[in-house]
Amino acid sequence: MLLSALLTGLVLGGTYALIAMGLTLQYGVARIMNLAYGDFMIAAAFGAFVLFTSLGINPLLGMIAVIPAGFALSYAIYGVMLQPLARRAKHSGRLEVDSILATFGLLFVIQGVALVIFGANFVSYSYLAIPINILGTTLAANRVLALVLALALGAGLYYALTHTRWGTAIRAVAVSPQAAPLVGIDVDRVSRFAFALGGALAASGGVVVSMYLTFSATAGVVFTMKALVVVIMGGVGNLLGALAAGLILGIVETLVATYIDTGLTLAATYLIFLAILVFRPSGLFGRRPS
Amino acid sequence: MLEVTNLSLHYAQHLALEKVHLSLNQGETVVVLGANGAGKSSMLNVLAGRIAPDKGTEVSFLGSRLVGRKPHEFPEMGIALVPEGRGIFGDLTVAENLSLGAYVKHARAGEAERLGMVYELFPRLAERRSQIARTMSGGEQQMIAIGRALMSQPKLLMLDEPSLGLAPVLVLELFNALEKIKRTGVSLLLVEQNVKVSLNIADRGYLLEGGRVVGVNTAEALKQDPAVQQAFLGLPGAKSILPANDF
Ligand SMILES: Nc1ncnc2c1ncn2[C@@H]1O[C@H](COP(=O)(O)OP(=O)(O)OP(=O)(O)O)[C@@H](O)[C@H]1O
Ligand SMILES: [Mg+2]
Repeated sequence: MLLSALLTGLVLGGTYALIAMGLTLQYGVARIMNLAYGDFMIAAAFGAFVLFTSLGINPLLGMIAVIPAGFALSYAIYGVMLQPLARRAKHSGRLEVDSILATFGLLFVIQGVALVIFGANFVSYSYLAIPINILGTTLAANRVLALVLALALGAGLYYALTHTRWGTAIRAVAVSPQAAPLVGIDVDRVSRFAFALGGALAASGGVVVSMYLTFSATAGVVFTMKALVVVIMGGVGNLLGALAAGLILGIVETLVATYIDTGLTLAATYLIFLAILVFRPSGLFGRRPS
Repeated sequence: MLEVTNLSLHYAQHLALEKVHLSLNQGETVVVLGANGAGKSSMLNVLAGRIAPDKGTEVSFLGSRLVGRKPHEFPEMGIALVPEGRGIFGDLTVAENLSLGAYVKHARAGEAERLGMVYELFPRLAERRSQIARTMSGGEQQMIAIGRALMSQPKLLMLDEPSLGLAPVLVLELFNALEKIKRTGVSLLLVEQNVKVSLNIADRGYLLEGGRVVGVNTAEALKQDPAVQQAFLGLPGAKSILPANDF
């Protein structure tokens, strides 16, 4: 039972890590605190759901459509709604407040549209629901696939951000938006790109979630909060931190649900969150603020 | 190659620069001398596009107008600034900082050779290439900033008080490096309070006081000028032998 709980937790944690990476890109680079992040995920989950149930397109193929759509939509939203705020903001604190207000509105728009189309019920679909034997316990194949996808996407992103010049430029904007223009980096453009990339990750997270969890039009806010908790646990802008924190959170939640009570998972999440905020405000792996 | 006319700048009500005229020829090294608050940093920040000057200001570089351009366009045009406080990416490694120096398109070709040149100029950077920049010493961070600027293959390199906070030995080392950079044909616009060393490397100098140019002359003449001595060495009563302002 312990092994089975650990494996389930690892799957959940992989998803958390993936979506936290997207949020940390949007927040760390574009300085946008996106409260509609989870709703974006859910929209993508519905996208995969529709593709699978009405067109018979499996979610792996569905990703090929849903991820670019997430990128394009985020790119457009940034240009229309957030760029004006970013241009006007004299300092990043101002942009944070403005972006929270703007994306809070966006949350209800996305949720409202999803409610109109899909109603308030939980939905799910059955894809690759075949048990796979791992070290004596079984795990559904869709969960194994979810974990593999999350880790592959996360690793790919990490590699691109650390081993390519444009990835380094994205991190440079996160580190010092004031200094970035000194080397010819267009901060506006990079911010927009990073926000869109974050949207693509949210979309991929949504597809991954749809493969093994039930979800509903109003489930987004939980994912926003979880992603936020993981980002803060890992340290804002710290991708490896997000990966580790995501895995830890997934495992802790599953252990609490298995051995104590399912109702206490959220409480456990926030206990960890509080402890980090109080004792390690710059994250598990972050350096102390200078 | 650089022609500045009527450069004025207000911070709200405060007049920081008033009708500054400045020119710099290809391959020339020009130093701007001035006390604290004279407006030296403000001037370089305008020339690098980081602050918008007042209306009426004209700046041209190799025939194109600079006023109104976005700051990220300046490195693309061949203008690199090493700002006050260095402006390096503290959380990135030395090598990443240098690699970002070659972010502009025209600097991609020949990047490897230039990196070799920077490492030759500052061997310390070669030894520490994978160290996080903010954990380097002040002098080493200055080397990163200059090295990063060189990676963009600048035609004009502007440096804002590069010797600030460095030990005398390091200042000499730094100016030796600048001398070598100068010999590669890069034009230098240098802002300094360290009069002696900077006049040794410069061809010409401007004196800036209260936001106005109060003198301009060859470096040789400035070394002898009592006004320079008065302003920077605290000698009383000396009167400038220089023509004032309208240059
Ligand atoms: N952002 C700003 N807002 C308001 N006033 C400013 C600002 N930056 C500079 N100033 C003022 O403009 C004047 C010129 O400042 P500047 O930094 O250009 O001087 P400086 O010659 O570089 O001095 P230092 O040698 O101390 O670096 C000063 O009086 C300063 O107080
Ligand atoms: Mg200054």
